[in-house]
Amino acid sequence: MRSFSKIITASVLIASMAFGLASCKSGSTSSGSVTVGITQEPGTFDPFTVVAAGDQEIIFNIYEGLLKYDSKGNLNPCLAKDYEISDSADVYTFTVRDGVKFQNGQELTPNDVVYSLQKAAGLLPDSDGKALVSAFAKVKTVELTKDDPSKVRVTLKEPDSELLSFFTCAIVPAEYDTSSKDPCGTGPFKFENYSISQNVTLSANKDYWGGAPAIDKVVFKICADMDAGLLELQSGTIDIFPHLTKDRADQLSADAYNILDNSSNMVQIFALNNKVEELSNPKVREAINYAIDRSDIIKVTMDGAGVALYAPMSPAMGKWYDSSLDGKYSKDIDKAKSLLAEAGYPDGFDLKVTVPSSYLVHVNTAVELASELSAVGIKLKIEQIDWATWLDEVYSKRNYESTVICLTSDYAPYDVIQRYASDSKDNFINYSNKEVDELIKKLPLTPGEDEKLTIYHQILNIMAEDNASCYIQDPQEMVAVSTKLEGYNVYPMYIQDMYTVKFKTA
Amino acid sequence: MKTASSRIFFITGYILIGIIFALFIVSIFWTPYDPNMTNPAIKLTPPCAEHLFGTDNFGRDTLSRVMYASKYTIFISFAGIAIALALGLVTGIPAGYYGGWTDRGIMLLSNSIMCFPGILLALVAVAVAGPSMYNVVWALGLVFAPTFARVCRIGTMELKQRDYITHAKVMGISSPRIMAVHILPNLTASLLPATVIGLANMTLFESGMSYLGLGVQPPDASFGKLLADAQSYMTRAPWLVIFPSLMLIIYILGLYFVSEGIRIKSSKGGN
Amino acid sequence: MGRKTGFLISKILELLATLILVSLLTFVAFSVIPGDTAQVILGPDASQAQLDALRAELGLDKPLIVQYLNWLIGLFTFNLGKSAAFGVPVSGLIAERLPVTIGMSIIALIFVIGISYPLSILSARRPGKILDQVFSVLGHVLFAIPPFVLSLLSIIAATALFSGFRAGQYYRPEDDFAGFVGCLMLPSFCIALPKIAMTFKYMRSSIIEQSSSEYVKNAKGHGLTDFRIMVKHILPNSNVSAITVISIVLSDILAGSLIVEQVFNLPGLGRLLLAGIARRDFPLLSGMVFYIAFITVLLYFAADILGSIADPRIRLK
Repeated sequence: MRSFSKIITASVLIASMAFGLASCKSGSTSSGSVTVGITQEPGTFDPFTVVAAGDQEIIFNIYEGLLKYDSKGNLNPCLAKDYEISDSADVYTFTVRDGVKFQNGQELTPNDVVYSLQKAAGLLPDSDGKALVSAFAKVKTVELTKDDPSKVRVTLKEPDSELLSFFTCAIVPAEYDTSSKDPCGTGPFKFENYSISQNVTLSANKDYWGGAPAIDKVVFKICADMDAGLLELQSGTIDIFPHLTKDRADQLSADAYNILDNSSNMVQIFALNNKVEELSNPKVREAINYAIDRSDIIKVTMDGAGVALYAPMSPAMGKWYDSSLDGKYSKDIDKAKSLLAEAGYPDGFDLKVTVPSSYLVHVNTAVELASELSAVGIKLKIEQIDWATWLDEVYSKRNYESTVICLTSDYAPYDVIQRYASDSKDNFINYSNKEVDELIKKLPLTPGEDEKLTIYHQILNIMAEDNASCYIQDPQEMVAVSTKLEGYNVYPMYIQDMYTVKFKTA
Repeated sequence: MKTASSRIFFITGYILIGIIFALFIVSIFWTPYDPNMTNPAIKLTPPCAEHLFGTDNFGRDTLSRVMYASKYTIFISFAGIAIALALGLVTGIPAGYYGGWTDRGIMLLSNSIMCFPGILLALVAVAVAGPSMYNVVWALGLVFAPTFARVCRIGTMELKQRDYITHAKVMGISSPRIMAVHILPNLTASLLPATVIGLANMTLFESGMSYLGLGVQPPDASFGKLLADAQSYMTRAPWLVIFPSLMLIIYILGLYFVSEGIRIKSSKGGN
Repeated sequence: MGRKTGFLISKILELLATLILVSLLTFVAFSVIPGDTAQVILGPDASQAQLDALRAELGLDKPLIVQYLNWLIGLFTFNLGKSAAFGVPVSGLIAERLPVTIGMSIIALIFVIGISYPLSILSARRPGKILDQVFSVLGHVLFAIPPFVLSLLSIIAATALFSGFRAGQYYRPEDDFAGFVGCLMLPSFCIALPKIAMTFKYMRSSIIEQSSSEYVKNAKGHGLTDFRIMVKHILPNSNVSAITVISIVLSDILAGSLIVEQVFNLPGLGRLLLAGIARRDFPLLSGMVFYIAFITVLLYFAADILGSIADPRIRLK
């Protein structure tokens, strides 16, 4: 009998030992090497076909364009020393910088620039004529100017002053096969290797034209998801993790990590389909805007990490954002009720909100909205569908009453605004205002920045007047950066700039 | 000895199930707070006098949520069993009664359904139809049907041998009538334990599916769905996990105890 | 001998028929699902031409029967094409997730056998006594707790008790094997517990039944020790139920791990399955569903064969 008790004791012991084994690991980062946690498997390193935001974050360090963003969202000359746009807004001329070397040792020449831009615009003889950078479909020719071979001239088919931001497009050596496994650009870091599901390694480009970077090596480590990333942060195996939610960031020790706010430049919208009978009345849309409490929604969905929005543009867009619209609506149930009564719905109405089930933030927003709108008699019925069906039924076919979603765009105000033109295929809220249509048409023809700014703010104000829809928040992400590091800059777009990062000197 | 222990199982089982049913019945008329009314100002309040079970991340009262959820948990388990039972009856009885190819065909189909782990089948079925409470009911009904079909088939095969069935056949009573009037009522005794244990297993499956987000959808809630919502706040607000877990365990345990009571009682009867 | 081979052949034929039916059911189920894989991959901006091109590339434009045959061939050559959502071969994705699921199944099975056997022997030695009663009641209660609920509760408990404990820690087996086994322990235990309760119940009644049989009484009469009787006579004779129980337990463990992985944030098949469901990745899903059913069928088959070898009476039926 004794032997049986032994077995039991043994198995209990094994079990308790096992649970004790939780974690006693410490990671160390060798000096000079920085590990960044990412949650997506890289799809491609080809700068011309890259779409995934996660890929762009990595590639930013390898490739450079004629122009480059800084962390404030300004466009600065990079491989172009300077540039000018003709008054008619149809000719862009760039002066190519001297003394720049590609990572394979080759010298950058204006011919490389012509080749790269032609490739992006689908103008190379062997291409199928489709622009790889879709905005470049408007490009007619890319050539060296006759009088100065260091200048590259881009001529458009029609005037478009909104094209500048796309010249951040990568410049590669002429005839270089960018789809190969070995990317080659002019950026501060060289591609070393990529092992699937593990990591992407970059090493410092010692010959970088702006001076060698402070760190020798960057490892983009692939974590299964945000929670896995959090665990790696806690055990110290990664130094930087760019996309954390607030509740997770709060779990990190302040001694080990600095937490930076990162405006995601997304616009969370409670999209009201303007073609639905009840919602076609601007008064009803205004009532909804007054019935909800944005800060409550942000509290519930983002643990308070969000910036309330009242118009379709996020403050991350810098000067293009119109701060005069801040706080346009504050929760006012009585006002909402009287607006509804004026519109002929004193007792409210039933409204269906269709949300993509895979996005918890949007589902939670819908739950909170349902609770808040019930106070003014609007009975919100939540319907969850999968992402593919959402894209098809809601976004493409516009077969819905209301929805909650985040709108993302390139870091270009035109990209944010163009979707509200009546004939835009992205205008899934069915907003229609002739004046706004005219203004949007005018934008590409307006060369001056100041004039553009006036037009953008005009559009935002008209849309606010119309209560086009209900804008909720720009959800904030948190970036965790090891306290051992300094110089990390948060960009208002998908960029992880490792050039400025360095170790603190003790 | 056996009567005594079966009685203990019955009594404990009924008390446990009674707790959940009491929650459900009270919730029809009254809950401490509106279970769907959010109040972010008091989000994640630990259990206190005003909120016995605390509040969730929307500031909703967890006790009210739990009461509200009992309705869906009970509904799904019973509706699912009803469907499984109905499907089992219409396939199992003819299979046992006619035998031959009817039997082989039906059994082949039900056996191959049983090859898939139940939860996997239910998950995929819901993925096909889209997550909603009714789809969960259908999916679980379908997954559980083969079990009942088997019980019905074996029961029917036994009953078929009985004199009164042969007698009925000789008298020229139609087969469907024999199955409906003479066989079906006599299957109750063998179906009862399968039904009770089925209710428990169905609740287990439903809670798992709702936990994975493929079951009940908001604003509806079941115990499993409450646990899914609590997942992100597990360590910060353990009360969000503990109370729904407790209710879920009470309900399943109650059902198991009743089925155990039936088993002990019938094994005694068999002796 | 002839009888034995005949029996085996008929069993194997049955197995093949079941597998074909299972594959057919899986394929048909995924063919009738609404939702266009090509649209998922390309997003809302895709043109009709792009969609058509991708459908052709994925073989979605061919007749269903051709698609089925291609898929069937793929199943047995481990070439299921590319995942729609991840853009890498499906078999690679599955292989990558296997260590966690297999590891958990093995560890859970060890828990089941290692705990339920000694306990049932201990319990069955004096049926009706306090120890037996306690184990039996405990068994009933544990049986009623869904593994994922147990996981949630144990994480809360562990976090409260051990400051160093972090749920969801995962080590790749190739990086740190001890860490890998360590992080699978608690989840495996949570899956195993209800199965321990179940196996305990079966084993206990089987041992009690055997202990009262004539030959055990005889052996006792011959002065053999209790230990010897248990190992030499009782346990081997309870093997029928044990083998059957274990194969059922193993398939339950496999299914149970699908949900528990989610709680512990482990990169196993369950997470992959859910990712596939969320992204409507049909090539991935159909492959996984079939393989999981395939393993389940094999387990039942093995239990059937082993059971009948151990106990000739079953075969004669």
